[in-house]
Amino acid sequence: MISIPAISEMPGFSSRRVRRRVVAAALTALALAAAGCSSKSAPSTSASSPAGHRGGVYTILAFSNFGTADPAQNYTLEEWQLLYDTHDGLVQFQRVGGAAGNKLVPDLATAVPAPTNGGKTYFFHIRRGIKFSNGQVMKPSDFVTTFERQFTVPGPTTFYNGIVGASACANSSKTLKCDLSTGVVADNKNYTLTIHLTAPDPEFIDKLALPFADVVPSGTTMKLTGNSVPPGTGPYMWKSYNPNTEAVLVRNPYFHVWNPLAQPAGYPNEIIEKYGQTVSDEVTAVENNQADEVYDGDTIPPDRLNELNSAKYASRVHINPLTADWYWAINTVKPPFNNVMARQAINFAANRAAYVTIAGGPSLAAPTCQILPPNFPGYKPFCPYTSGTNFTKWSGPDIAKAKQLVAQSGTKGMKVVVNSTTDSTGKALAAQMVSDLNKIGYKASSVLLNGGIQYPFVQNSNNNSKWNITYSAWYQDYPAASDFLNVLLGCGSIHPHSNASPNIAEFCNKSIQAQMSKAEVLGETNTTAANDLWAKVDQEVTNQAPWVDMYNPKQIDFLSSRVHGYMWNPQLYILIDQQWLS
Amino acid sequence: MAIALTESAEPPAQVPELLAPEISGRSPWALAWRRLSRNRIALASLVLFLLIVAVCLAAPLYANDIAHVNPFASNVTGTTIVNGHRVPLMRQGGGVLKLGETPIGPTWHFSHYFLGADQEGRDVMARVLYGGRSSLEIGIGSAVLCCLIATVVALIAGYFRGLTDAVLSRLMDVIWAFPVYLLAISISTVLLTNSAGLKIGPVHIVASSLWLPTIIIAFIYLPYVYRPIRGHVLSVSEKEFIQAGIAQGASDLRLIFSDILPNVVSQVIVLLPLMIATTILTESALSFLSIGVQAPNASWGTIINDGQDLLYTRPWVAIAPGIMIVLVVLALNVLGDGVRDALDPRAKLRVEA
Amino acid sequence: MLTFIVRRTLWTILVLFAITVLVFLIFFKTPGIDPARQIAGRNPSPAIIAEIRRQFGLNRPLPIQYGMMMKKIFITRDLVSYSNQGQKVIPEIIAATPATLSLVFGAAVIWVVVSILMGVAAAVLRGTILDPLLMIIALIGISMPVFWLGEVVNLITQSRLHSSFLFSWVPPLGYTPFTQSPVLWFKGLVFPWITLSILYIGFYARVLRANLLEIQNEDYIRTARAKGLTESRVLLRHTLRNSLITFVSLFGLDFGVLVGGGALLTEVVFAIHGVGFLTYQSLTNLDLPVIMATVIFGAFFIVLANALVDVAYAALDPRVRPA
Repeated sequence: MISIPAISEMPGFSSRRVRRRVVAAALTALALAAAGCSSKSAPSTSASSPAGHRGGVYTILAFSNFGTADPAQNYTLEEWQLLYDTHDGLVQFQRVGGAAGNKLVPDLATAVPAPTNGGKTYFFHIRRGIKFSNGQVMKPSDFVTTFERQFTVPGPTTFYNGIVGASACANSSKTLKCDLSTGVVADNKNYTLTIHLTAPDPEFIDKLALPFADVVPSGTTMKLTGNSVPPGTGPYMWKSYNPNTEAVLVRNPYFHVWNPLAQPAGYPNEIIEKYGQTVSDEVTAVENNQADEVYDGDTIPPDRLNELNSAKYASRVHINPLTADWYWAINTVKPPFNNVMARQAINFAANRAAYVTIAGGPSLAAPTCQILPPNFPGYKPFCPYTSGTNFTKWSGPDIAKAKQLVAQSGTKGMKVVVNSTTDSTGKALAAQMVSDLNKIGYKASSVLLNGGIQYPFVQNSNNNSKWNITYSAWYQDYPAASDFLNVLLGCGSIHPHSNASPNIAEFCNKSIQAQMSKAEVLGETNTTAANDLWAKVDQEVTNQAPWVDMYNPKQIDFLSSRVHGYMWNPQLYILIDQQWLS
Repeated sequence: MAIALTESAEPPAQVPELLAPEISGRSPWALAWRRLSRNRIALASLVLFLLIVAVCLAAPLYANDIAHVNPFASNVTGTTIVNGHRVPLMRQGGGVLKLGETPIGPTWHFSHYFLGADQEGRDVMARVLYGGRSSLEIGIGSAVLCCLIATVVALIAGYFRGLTDAVLSRLMDVIWAFPVYLLAISISTVLLTNSAGLKIGPVHIVASSLWLPTIIIAFIYLPYVYRPIRGHVLSVSEKEFIQAGIAQGASDLRLIFSDILPNVVSQVIVLLPLMIATTILTESALSFLSIGVQAPNASWGTIINDGQDLLYTRPWVAIAPGIMIVLVVLALNVLGDGVRDALDPRAKLRVEA
Repeated sequence: MLTFIVRRTLWTILVLFAITVLVFLIFFKTPGIDPARQIAGRNPSPAIIAEIRRQFGLNRPLPIQYGMMMKKIFITRDLVSYSNQGQKVIPEIIAATPATLSLVFGAAVIWVVVSILMGVAAAVLRGTILDPLLMIIALIGISMPVFWLGEVVNLITQSRLHSSFLFSWVPPLGYTPFTQSPVLWFKGLVFPWITLSILYIGFYARVLRANLLEIQNEDYIRTARAKGLTESRVLLRHTLRNSLITFVSLFGLDFGVLVGGGALLTEVVFAIHGVGFLTYQSLTNLDLPVIMATVIFGAFFIVLANALVDVAYAALDPRVRPA
């Protein structure tokens, strides 16, 4: 007989994988210590690398593959962690652990420039004498190809839309032609590169650190390269990628260290990433030292966490906070929650401690009320929706206040549909939200959809009448407050009737939007003042309660006992090739 | 001495010792029932089955009056009493890292959290009892429906052969090869996203209706019952007594239902309890997609699903419903054996005491 | 025989057509399934989605899209997956076939042999304690969900007792091709074989036992005994043969569906990257090209298996002509 696969009953299945995006925020060393990281290695620079540690094969186990391998399209943490070691861009985050890892240092450029021409022009000197893994010499015109591919290969282009000439490339994936020679000016004689933007963009340098902007040889096809990765300049090169079995990285014979802060030499001789085991079995394999790392984007099943606590394995576990939100988006367009008091009511009633328990306990999640995550530009602790009088930290729900607000709003007794996913976390969170809503007088029920369907479903405004509260999560792209506030709660992020409308709550407040625009402009000249303004925006948005924000999650890295030299970079996460194997 | 079978009004001379007692003929059904009621093992299994049903029907009694729990509401921050102490239902991990939250294990106290809690802090024992209702309804309902339809179709296909058989068998091939999971996702999404459910004519289907998984599961396993029965029909319809029946001019319908069916019905009875095991387990996949048993309601399959995530720490969450399934399947199989023996005309004759 | 083959082939094409059309319709008629949005990745602009829709032909009418997909599967064989546009589907499935075949053939051998032994033993030993005991074991086997069983096997062999002498020989999870290392191929498949077959052993043993017991009372068996044939000859030559109809029917169905990718839960839990694993991934990602290709692959084997079973009926019961 056939057994229908209960797909999502597999532990470790997480639709979040597709939405996890790296490149984190600024962390203070204090936060790192408070996170309980039990790594014994000091977060120091790896510039001094004793040659005696070189060697070995480092094996990562990941549940699913990362899809297409073309770096111009791939938007997954999974491939990015490997691309950091095989490719280079103009700038990069310092390859060290701790707070110092937030600093941008020059990689293929010789210096990180300040923009000129009113913030619209960036001028780079490009390093000489660097070769790709196929022996080709890297020159500035290679960057033109790289940026043009951003438009001819279907994928995220919004990051580099500001380059002069990009708007003409709107349908380049059809024509396979995109001429950015006016926006990206390469001088192969003097080895310089000049990038012209149509408008100032204070986040542009951050965007250059994303693997989309990593240089590829100018002969690279303008079409999608499929599962083969174009040559890069990093210490490793791609030997093979078979999405059904494994990816293999070997040393790049042409690599030499030019800036150990940006791209140091790596220790392992080979890095292999194997696909297709359940996460529970990955944990077992790493416990048995049959592999070295459980890919940190795979959620470790709750019943294996106990073993990790034990003395035998605890020293191999590293916990670090993520700049991410797990939240409930509230439908601000339909009753009862088109009434701000009703939204504030559920914020007061939400039992964030229960949500944290469902996420795996206080070691794995920290409750939050506001939009921005801790240690993010513009973050100032703020939580109005708590019992007690300390409004910087959530201490407990305030049911009395919630009931009062419900009464005031006149929405008591109304039906509320809680929308979530069918995996066990989504189910448990929904059950808790239903309970919280019922407690203050609503009639709540839950609707659980398949993970792959739920996310586009709740974004589409056509489905507005079918849910009132829905569950979602967001991980940062780069450290900028607008990446949360504007992308998720800005008026411009509402695309009606589209399955891609990240402002799920359909929250649009004109005066708050004006302040966001003001903060973005301010960010071009005065970062501190801009961040203060973002903090104010964060508070105002939180007061309007378009979300019930639940918690900021933490990342677990579980390694074999052979691995030493673990470092956590808040932008790049685990620095794979800076570890050595005994 | 020949006995004259005349309609004379006078009875023959009464000789006491030659007076035979009245022989009242019994219908085959009555005989079968008699045989079954004397089969002690079959009766015991029937009692076991009824007991399980009764206990599951008593679930509200258990939850409200004995255990005082709400087995459907999320209770992650709740507490209970173990050995006189009040303990939280979800315990944080130990060691330095304190990762994870584990629900309490079985307390083995009948009145609270006998089998422990699941990852939403709910009482597993109460849920297993409530779950029985859904699982038995869906499991038995779909198995019976499946066997009924498959038998009828198999009789038709096996008897008439030719084009009828070809069409029906290929139809069954399509059903068997069909990716039911895709269909299930589709149906669940359609139903869940239309709060009014689906209206096909006078029939109103909502996602939480138990008929939906019953029909879907019956549909999935139609080929599995169809093909063996068809094989037997093919074999039986070649037998001499069928040929004789045809020669005598018996109608197709009569041949199918009076002659062929009784000879294949024992196959159906063998398959039925085995299919019940399969349908109960298949139900878990469908309820995962929110077809039929919706969260937070329980069925044995959904509890097993929940137990997957707790396998390494709280194995009882998955084992308990599994044991219930084994007991039900065992009871029904033994009962099925008894029924088959009872119906089998060739069973060894039992001398009446 | 030739007409039989020709007729069946024609029917197969019809079956494949029917299934593919149904799958296609269901996929595109489900609200919320939007392949263009899936392909576009995270936070795409509506313009990008529109462009992808155009590129993949997702804005054409359904019959044309269906035709395009069938052409890519059968004629040009360059069908590309939605979740990974660098991955050609047909070579991917062909590469995955040996793993599934290894798993399914091995399990089939085990379950056929063991269930026949169990069924025969239970029937022969009827009246002793062994009959109910064997049947209880069988019923426990069919009541265990296969994914749960696989996880428990992994818990014991890979985790808890891995260092003990009992299981230290068990290699890490995964499939090793026979050509690479026959020993590892075998060692890595032992537990998957056992896990997959336990489910079927119970079912088949029960069915076989029931059929054997019925046939025991048939006239021709009585005649065979009266003729003086030994009990084992009676059993093997006459009883067993005639009780295999249900057994063979079910085997055709199960084997056909397993080869076509039905063992997906077993393949996932033991990390065997066969067709079932691809099926599982494609359903998780709602990746229509791979779903379609695996469905076609599976349907082909199911139709083939059922045709072979129909031929087998004739071998088992000479009065039955192959339908």
